[in-house]
Amino acid sequence: MSFIKALRCKECGADYPIEPRTVCDHDFGPVEVAYDYEAMRGKVTRDSIAAGPRSLWRYKDLLPINGEPRAGLRSGYTPLIPAKKLAAELGVKELYIKDDSVNYPTFSYKDRVVAVAITKAIEFGFDTVGCASTGNLAHSVAAHAAAAGLQAFVMIPHDLEEGKMVGMSVFGPRVVKIKGNYDDVNRLCSQIADKYKWAIVNVNLRPFYTEGAKTHGFEIAEQMGWQLPRHTVLPVAGGTILPKVWKAYQEFITLGLVKDNAPRMHAAQAAGCNPIVKALEEGTDLFRPQKPNTIAKSIAIGNPADGYYVLKVVRESGGSGASSTDPEILDAIKLLARTEGIFTEPAGGTTLACAIKLIQSGRIPRDESICVCITGNGLKTTEVMQGQFAATPAINAKMNEFDDLVRQITESANAKPAPVKA
Amino acid sequence: MAKSTRKCWLTFEGGRQNEPCLWKMSRTYPDVMFDIRQASVQKDIGIMAVLFTGEEKEIDGALEYLVKAGVKVDPVEGGSNVAG
Repeated sequence: MSFIKALRCKECGADYPIEPRTVCDHDFGPVEVAYDYEAMRGKVTRDSIAAGPRSLWRYKDLLPINGEPRAGLRSGYTPLIPAKKLAAELGVKELYIKDDSVNYPTFSYKDRVVAVAITKAIEFGFDTVGCASTGNLAHSVAAHAAAAGLQAFVMIPHDLEEGKMVGMSVFGPRVVKIKGNYDDVNRLCSQIADKYKWAIVNVNLRPFYTEGAKTHGFEIAEQMGWQLPRHTVLPVAGGTILPKVWKAYQEFITLGLVKDNAPRMHAAQAAGCNPIVKALEEGTDLFRPQKPNTIAKSIAIGNPADGYYVLKVVRESGGSGASSTDPEILDAIKLLARTEGIFTEPAGGTTLACAIKLIQSGRIPRDESICVCITGNGLKTTEVMQGQFAATPAINAKMNEFDDLVRQITESANAKPAPVKA
Repeated sequence: MAKSTRKCWLTFEGGRQNEPCLWKMSRTYPDVMFDIRQASVQKDIGIMAVLFTGEEKEIDGALEYLVKAGVKVDPVEGGSNVAG
């Protein structure tokens, strides 16, 4: 049963039928999927959700599809890890890592939004899908399109990390490198969607695509035992995930599935691309687009499509924002790996580094529950870690040489890294 | 000639937010009608959602004029080239 009501303008509230549409005709404001929550009451329950598949589709009733899922049948339902070692190191009471670095099939949170977008593309009858991407989205679109038997065009900035190129090309999409940054790519994709009538998932399917991001929030709530974290720290790139995790929390509150504990949303950006955090600091509603310059390329979006709504949600929730430098990002990647055994990409390092800053500044109190959202996998961007570790010496296959090495390691004052104090 | 419409976001920065850029454009391209659908202007930046109507070539010229004047012109998704 579908509970979808309409596509509704986020600015003026005008309703439109469910169709490939991005903006309102009247004021060009973005449209969003609206649901009939009254009709859901009593039907969408903790039990009905728990009886669903161990994938993001357990939340199907809160997603904008009409029939059965057609893509990403194993996507989502990633681990929520009580990060006790990291919490101890940072001096906080209750810390969770929502780990989308192991999302299926392409190891980033994008597998959530693409699962919904591809299902919708098939429902609408498209035979070609595409995206503007900083890498992770291209991987996901290429993989899901291959599995669904659709043609895929992925448009990427020309200077993307080599590892990410391989990770998308293997699925057989048409990869189009564009001379420019992500914002240039996105701009071109708007025109491509109009001219070619393809399903560009983050352009003309954006209202449906972004709904998939809610599942990240639904899972946090369910996996915490039907509770919300008091603080959620999320990376901000195009601005999709933060407002949608907030929407997920609000939907669960509306349906009575969780208690309203006034959850606060915090935005994390790299210092080399932080238009939203700057606007938060300056107290302005509008943000100034930036030319990105950071190792966190997957979140290097200088002109976020939904940036305005990130500002709105952060302020409405009483949250805050922080940005972190490239060295801080690398340190945070190593810290997460060393304490929790999770290797994230620079976007995840950014989120953790910013969470640490927000804890240090007191904007996140140490005695309240915190969820840090990790959205991508470090194995895709190993080149950023080059030079971060001491060279490993080779020894002969002799026991005495191994004994010497163990002695040296034991004696070395640097054998155990000093703890990071937040 | 058939009329076309074009939906655009215009961003005014670097002092452009204090100049009558649209008025100047309309003096050069009087046959291009502009309809401001949404606008927000602050000290350092101004953003407008504008619907342009006119002949295709005239709209191209008008938008090029704005770009040359230092205004950032972005097509609205799903509306960059809509026949009227």
